[in-house]
Amino acid sequence: MQHNTARYMLSLAATAIVCLAGCKKTPSDATDGSSSGQADGFAAAKATYTIGMSQCNLGEPWRVQMNDDVRRAAEAHPELKMIFKDAQNDTLKQRAHVEEFIGAGVDLIIISPKEAQPLTEPVAKAMEAGIPVIVLDRRVIGDNYTCFIGADNRLIGREAGEWIVSALGGKGNVVELKGLMTSTPGQDRHSGFREAIKDSQINIIFEADMKWLEPDARKEMESALSRFDQIDLVYAHNDPGAHGAWLAANAAGREGQIRFVGIDALPHEGVLYVKEGILDATFQYPTGGAEAIDAALKILRGESVPKEITLGSRVFTKENVEAGGEPIG
Amino acid sequence: MNDGRPDQHESIGALERSAASRLRAFLSSPSATALLALGLVLAIGVAFSGDGAFHKWATHRDALRQASVYGILACGMTFVIITAGIDLSVGSVLALVAVMFSTLSIHEAWPPWLAVPACLALGGACGAASGLVVAKWRIQPFIVTLAMMVFARGLAKTLSGGMKVSTAVQLPDGSWTAAPVPGIFRLIDSRLLGDNISVVSLVFLACIALSWVILSRLRWGRYLYAIGGNEEAARLSGVPVAAMKVMAYALAGVFAAVAGLCQAAQEQQGDPEAGLGYELTAIAIVVIGGTSLMGGRGGIGLTLLGTLIIGYLDKILSVNAVPEASRLMLTGVIIIAAVLVQRRKD
Repeated sequence: MQHNTARYMLSLAATAIVCLAGCKKTPSDATDGSSSGQADGFAAAKATYTIGMSQCNLGEPWRVQMNDDVRRAAEAHPELKMIFKDAQNDTLKQRAHVEEFIGAGVDLIIISPKEAQPLTEPVAKAMEAGIPVIVLDRRVIGDNYTCFIGADNRLIGREAGEWIVSALGGKGNVVELKGLMTSTPGQDRHSGFREAIKDSQINIIFEADMKWLEPDARKEMESALSRFDQIDLVYAHNDPGAHGAWLAANAAGREGQIRFVGIDALPHEGVLYVKEGILDATFQYPTGGAEAIDAALKILRGESVPKEITLGSRVFTKENVEAGGEPIG
Repeated sequence: MNDGRPDQHESIGALERSAASRLRAFLSSPSATALLALGLVLAIGVAFSGDGAFHKWATHRDALRQASVYGILACGMTFVIITAGIDLSVGSVLALVAVMFSTLSIHEAWPPWLAVPACLALGGACGAASGLVVAKWRIQPFIVTLAMMVFARGLAKTLSGGMKVSTAVQLPDGSWTAAPVPGIFRLIDSRLLGDNISVVSLVFLACIALSWVILSRLRWGRYLYAIGGNEEAARLSGVPVAAMKVMAYALAGVFAAVAGLCQAAQEQQGDPEAGLGYELTAIAIVVIGGTSLMGGRGGIGLTLLGTLIIGYLDKILSVNAVPEASRLMLTGVIIIAAVLVQRRKD
């Protein structure tokens, strides 16, 4: 028995060493950056700037895309040095990120917060420490930050609704596959859409919560198909949802009679589905990654940036997808 | 499957009483109560048919298709639960296999006859690893398979780079194009017999049949029941307990891999986030069927009934477009009702 315990301890220790060796990279990166950064605060014209980016959850493709956009934009500027952290959908972890960034003395923080309330204070602390903060996509409470960059889901929902009204000639049977209705994007994409169609003769014959998930969207669409013989269009709150609905219709041999509209327009997802003729339209929900780096550069050079930047959206349809979509709103 | 049989001995001259007690014994057997619960759920479906959608065969075909992935997981779970264990890792193993199957089939152009066995081996290896730790070091299955659940999820995310492995391929100029959907995906996601049954449903039924053979026709099956009934007694009577436990978890892993193949084919992609929480549905299916979480009692026929109960429940709520919040509450209430109906047997 004791022999066994000894062996456990050994293997535990070995695992711990491996893990620590793996983790060590990020902190050492951070100190590298701060040694040059801390000396002169954020006075103008430094050789390099370190930017800490805290992402709330890299489990979502859209957020992976956001990080990619930030990374790509930053790579064009050799004077920028990025540190990425993933909070894995854990508010307290993300709070720790901000504290770590303050401790490491980064020159600027970009945060895409998981929740407003618990992250408001850490952001304020960074501001007090003289570190400018760019808040991306989701808000914090109050206005103690440098710049907020985000898109407007309600507006995108409304644009989608208007597009659908004109595509259907003002009337028809529509299935709405909703994201999580307990989430703000879900609520806004729903209410914006309903606002746009309320004066038309469009009937929402079936609506269900597919929780942003493709298999659930397919399941709900199968139910809609077995209930209704005439479905003109499916409006899904994200592209995987629209694709799941298409798979269901395709299996029933009815995909030709139905149009499919989604939201998000990631290049390897929604936009590609439009190119393939699966979706009829997708509305971009921009990540703001590139815009965040633009704003960061301005702030670091001492130029002024607006307190709030609302991102424009684009619509991708069969006609314009090859040309890169069209701006809306 | 064979637990529907009454064990009362018949005595000559009391035939009539014996027939009555036989009937009583059957009615209080797990199979009968599970059938009763299924009947209850189907009756709800008839009452709330969603404008008659419930009376169309297509609805039933789709209900069976949706339930199949859960049902396949539940087959593997049945083995483990009969040994008085539990496997929390099946949802993550499903995702891992879905990612691997998509990578191999879409991007590495492996033929199915290579990709499928490789994926099954991966699932089996994950299960066997859990089983080995459970059996050899006698650590609680709950914690071992919890560890495997986290590890396999991490591995799935590593292999996929955190992104869904879809048919999207990035060209050198940064734009995206779609690779063709592999034939094996289309085959698994097709329908047979004049469009009347999904291939995944047939895969599920094949898993049930295979599990039935192992549990009811092979010595291995009797060993698993013996281990779940009384592990020490089984050991003393010469049952190779450790090997049998490893086999049970390995089977759970292989079935999770089969479910992963079906999931990938139906989504046309490998999503590293797939199967989140599926292990709980699989456990619920096994228990609602009437297999005891304490081990030693139950069977694969019950798991088939449990799959149908959960599958139909889900379908009925969906066809009636019941809002999500009410769905969760109703599912909870109906599961409790089904389990209470089951309880009569004790």
